[in-house]
Amino acid sequence: MKFNFKWLLLLVGLAVVFIVDFPILTVILNSFRTTDSILSSRNILPDQPTLTNYFYINTRTHFWTFLLNSGIVALASTALGTGLAALAGFAMSRFRLRVLGIYNQALLIVQMFPLILAIIPLFVMFRRLDLVNNFVPVILVYTVTQLPFATWMLRSYFDSVPKELDEAARVDGCSRLRGFVQIVLPLSTPGIAAVAIFSFLFSYNEFFISSVFLRDENRMTMPVGIQSFMQQYSTDWGGLMASAALAMVPTLILFLFIQKYMISGATAGAVKG
Amino acid sequence: MHPQHSSYPFRRPSGRFTVSFCGNRITSTNAAKLVKNRRWPRTHFLNSVSVLAATALLGAFTAHAKDHVDLQFWDMIWGPPEYIDTGKALVAQFNQEHPDITVTYRSVPWNNWYQTFLTAIGSGTAPDVSTGAGYQAVQLYDQGAILPIDDVIGQWKTDGKLDDFLPKTIDTLKYDNHYVALPWAIDIRVWYYRKDLFEQAHLQPPTSWQELKTVAQALTKADKDQYGLVACGDTLGSHYLYTLILNNGGGLFTKDRKIDLGSDRNLEALQFLSELVQNHNVYPASAGYHDDDEVSAFSQGKGAITLHAPGLAGRLPKIRDKIGLLKPLTGPHGEQGTIFWVNNIMLYKQSKHPAEAKIFLQWWSEHEKDLWTKGHVTQLPVRKSFAADPYLQDNPETAFILSNYVPVGKNTATHATEIFPKLNDVEGEGVMQTLVQNLLQGKDVNASVKEASDRLKSIMTD
Amino acid sequence: MPRAAIQSSQRVAPTLLVRGLPIERLPYLLLLPSLTLICLIELYPFLSGVSYSLHKGTLLSTGNFVALDNYVRLFNSPDFYNSLSFSFFFALFNVVFSYLIGLGLALFLNLDFPGRGLCRVLLLIPWIVPAVVSIVSWKWLIADRGGLVNIILATFGLGPIYFLSQSGWAMVAVIVIKIWRSFPFMMLSLLAQLQVIDRTLYEAGKLDGASHWQLFWHITLPHLKNISIVQAILMVIWSINDFETPFLLTQGGPSNATENLILLSYRYTFGRNDIGRGSAVAILTLVLLVVLATLMLHQQRKIA
Repeated sequence: MKFNFKWLLLLVGLAVVFIVDFPILTVILNSFRTTDSILSSRNILPDQPTLTNYFYINTRTHFWTFLLNSGIVALASTALGTGLAALAGFAMSRFRLRVLGIYNQALLIVQMFPLILAIIPLFVMFRRLDLVNNFVPVILVYTVTQLPFATWMLRSYFDSVPKELDEAARVDGCSRLRGFVQIVLPLSTPGIAAVAIFSFLFSYNEFFISSVFLRDENRMTMPVGIQSFMQQYSTDWGGLMASAALAMVPTLILFLFIQKYMISGATAGAVKG
Repeated sequence: MHPQHSSYPFRRPSGRFTVSFCGNRITSTNAAKLVKNRRWPRTHFLNSVSVLAATALLGAFTAHAKDHVDLQFWDMIWGPPEYIDTGKALVAQFNQEHPDITVTYRSVPWNNWYQTFLTAIGSGTAPDVSTGAGYQAVQLYDQGAILPIDDVIGQWKTDGKLDDFLPKTIDTLKYDNHYVALPWAIDIRVWYYRKDLFEQAHLQPPTSWQELKTVAQALTKADKDQYGLVACGDTLGSHYLYTLILNNGGGLFTKDRKIDLGSDRNLEALQFLSELVQNHNVYPASAGYHDDDEVSAFSQGKGAITLHAPGLAGRLPKIRDKIGLLKPLTGPHGEQGTIFWVNNIMLYKQSKHPAEAKIFLQWWSEHEKDLWTKGHVTQLPVRKSFAADPYLQDNPETAFILSNYVPVGKNTATHATEIFPKLNDVEGEGVMQTLVQNLLQGKDVNASVKEASDRLKSIMTD
Repeated sequence: MPRAAIQSSQRVAPTLLVRGLPIERLPYLLLLPSLTLICLIELYPFLSGVSYSLHKGTLLSTGNFVALDNYVRLFNSPDFYNSLSFSFFFALFNVVFSYLIGLGLALFLNLDFPGRGLCRVLLLIPWIVPAVVSIVSWKWLIADRGGLVNIILATFGLGPIYFLSQSGWAMVAVIVIKIWRSFPFMMLSLLAQLQVIDRTLYEAGKLDGASHWQLFWHITLPHLKNISIVQAILMVIWSINDFETPFLLTQGGPSNATENLILLSYRYTFGRNDIGRGSAVAILTLVLLVVLATLMLHQQRKIA
C-alpha cells in the first residue's frame, strides 16, 4: 500500500513538472515546426518535424555571433568576478574587522541597487570614452552585480575549510596570502566551480545591461539578439522558437552541472550555526 | 538583472562541522616548493614584446601612407538586404570616379538609431555624412552637430538643379534660416484594402470617412475572425493618429509650436477612430500588435483595410493581386491629407573634410537612383527625374502613391511653419503610441487626449 | 611567538602599526580590488545620478541646475504614480504567490518518493532559463486566438482574451509570468529549510495526537519564519528592480499599464532624452527599496 502511494506521488510530481515546464517544452517542440504549422497545428508533438528553422537562423541571422559575444562577456566577467570575490570572501572569512562588516553592508546595497541608476551615468561616461558597443563596460558591470552573491557564497565555502589549516600553514612560515592560495583555495574548488558556473549562468542570461551598451548587431549578446528578432519579425515564430531553443542549451547544460550545488548550497546555508 | 539565488547575508554559517577532502594534505613546505619552481619564461616574454612593438610601428607607418581624403558615410537601412549591397556598390563607383577621396560605407540599423548618433557625436567619432530620419538633422543641428549646406543649395539654385526636386521637399529641411540637410526620399502612410474581400461583399472601395465607416461595418464578421480594419499599437499605430488628424485638416501644433492636440479637427479625427473601435469594426488584438503582426493579420484577411508604408504588396507577394490602394480619403470637411516624412542626408560639423563631404553629398544625391532600381527602397524619391524612371512608373503602387498621396502629404509639425528638434522626442517618447493604444482599447477619447496633451506639453517644455 | 626559520623565497607580510598595535594590511588589500570596482560601477554612478537628478540634462549635455524641480514634476505626474502602483502590485502578487506555490511544492518535495530529486531539478527550470526564452514561450501561449490559453478558454466557451492588447490582462500576464519565474527560488530555499527540521519533533507531535494541520502550524511554520522573511525581502527587491519581464513582453504597454519604475526611468532617459527626470525616478526607487528592506529587516529582528 505504502509502495503504491509513493508511486502515486511520483506521478503527481511528474504531472506538476509537465504543467510547470510546459512553456519551455513547447519552445523545444515548436522549434521543429514551420511557422505555418505552429500557427495551425493543434497537436503537442510536431507532425512533420523539420530543421528549416535552425537552418534559417544559421544562415540569415547573426545567432552564432550573439552566442559568441555572450560567451566572451560571461567568461570575462565570471573570471574577474570570481577572482575578486575569492579575495574578498577570504578576508570576510578569516578576519573579524569592522571594515568587513561595513563591506558586508555595502554588498547588501549593491544587491538592491536599481541598475538603471547606475546605467545612466555609466552610459554617459562610457559614451564619452567611445566605449559603447564595447564589451568592457558590460563585463565590469556584470562583475559588480555578481560580487555580492559570489562573495557570500565563497565566504561560506571558505568558512567550511577549518581555520586550523591556516594556522598550521602560518606556523610553518607561510604568509596568510600564500596559505590562502595554497591551502584554502584548492580545498574549495568545488565551491569556486559552483560560484563560477552560477556567475556565468546569470551573466549569460542577462538582458538589460547588454541591451543598453551593446547595440551594434555584431556586438549583441544572445538575449538582446533574440529580443531584437522578436521585435522585428514578431510573426516569424519558427525562427523565434529555434533561436530560443538553441539559446537555452548552454543554460541547461550548465544547470546540469550545478544543480546539486544549488541544492547543497541552499542546504548549507540552512544549517543553523 | 541581479542573480536570483540563495544568499545569506543575514546569518553567517559557523563552519563548525568538519569536512574531509580526499586525503590529500597540502603542507606548507610542499606549497613553498611549488612556488619556487614557477618561473617566468623570460625569452617567451621578450619575444612577444618585440612582436607587439613591431606591429604597432608598422601600423603607424601604413596609416600615413595614403595621401588623400577619407570620409565616413553612415547610411540607415532603407530597404531589403540588396539595399546595402547597392549602397556599397554606389560608394565604390564614387571612389572610382574620385581617386583622391575614399568613402567608407557603414550600414546603420534602425534599432536605437538616435543613441547611435548621439554616442558618436558625444565621443567625437561622428561620420562625415549620413542619411537619417525626417527630423534627425534638425534635432542634431540643435545640439550643434550638423553642418548647414546653404552653399550647396545656393549653387544648385543658380544652376537650376533644384527644379528636379518635388515642391516643398527642399524647404521642409530649412531650420533657423539654414538648410540643414538634403532631402532624398519620402516616407508616407497610405491606405491599403483587400480587393477580394470587397468583391465578396459587393462593396466599392471607400473615398470618404463616412464611406469607410459603412464598409468597415459591412465587412466585419466577428465569428469568421474578420474585421473591417486591422491596426497596430506600436510606432506604426501612432501613424494612424497622425494620418487621420492631418486628413481632417488638423495638426498637433499651432503656428507658434504650442501643443494643440485637443483642437476640434483633431478631436473629430480621433473620435472617428474611436467610433470604429466602439462599433467593433477594428480587429480587437490591434492594440498589442506590432507592424509585423498587422501585416500578417492583413494577409490572413483578419482586416480588410489597413494603413501602412509603401511597399506592402511587395511584402506579401503571395496575395499581391488581392491588395489595392485606396485614394486619399476625404474627411468630413472635404479635406485630404496624410503623414509624410522627408528623409535627410546631412553633413556633420565634426567632419575634417567638409569640402570633400559636400562633393560626396551632391554626387550621392544625383546618382542614387540605383537605390530604387537595384536596392528596392520602398520609399519614394524626391527627384522628379528618378520618379520618371520606368522602375518607378511601371510599379502601379508607386505611381499611384506619387500622384495621389504625396501632394497631400504633411509633416507632424503642422501647423507650425517649419520642423523643429523636439519633433523627434515627440515621436520617440511613446506618447502617441500610448494614445493609439488607448483608443484601440476603446478608452474614452477626451480623457485619453487630455492625458496625451499633458504629456506632450511636458515633452515640449520640460 | 617565535618565528620559525624563514627561507629566502618566503616573505613575511609587512605590518602596519596603529596606536602601537600591529595591523595586518592583508584584509584591506584583499578588499581593495572589489571595493575599487564597486566604487567605479556603483558609487560614482550613484553620486552622478544624484547630481543628474538635480539638473536638467540630456545624454549629450549636463544642463542647468534645477534643484528639486525634477522631483516636484515627478510627484505631479500621473506617469509616476502609475508606475509606482504597478511596481507595488507586481512585487506584492509576485512575493505572495511565488511564496505560496514555492511552499506548496517544497512541502510536496519534502515527502519521500522515488524520483523526487529529478522532479526537484526539473522544477527549477523556469528560474534558470533566460528571461527572453521565458517570454518567447509564454508569448506564444497567450498571443492571439490561436494561443493555447485561448484554445483552452474556448473549450469552456469563454471568449478569446487578447492578453497583450488589453491593459488589465497585460498586467495579469506579466505578473503570472513573473511568478512562474520566481517560485523555484522560494521552493528551493524553503525545501532546504524543511529538510533540516528535526523529524523527531514531528514524531513527538504525532504521539501527542496532533493533527497534520497542527503539526504544520506549530512545528513547520516557525522553522520557516526566518528564511521566509529573508526570501521575501530579496524577492521584493528583485521584483521592483525587474526590467526584463515587463519590457520583453509588453515594452511597458499597452497604454503604459505594465510600466514599472524602472521602465519609466528608461523611457525618460532614452525615449525623452531627459536624464534629470530618469535619474530622479531611479533614486526614488532606491530610496523605496532601502525603506522597504529596512522595514522588513526590522520585522525579521522582531521575530528572530
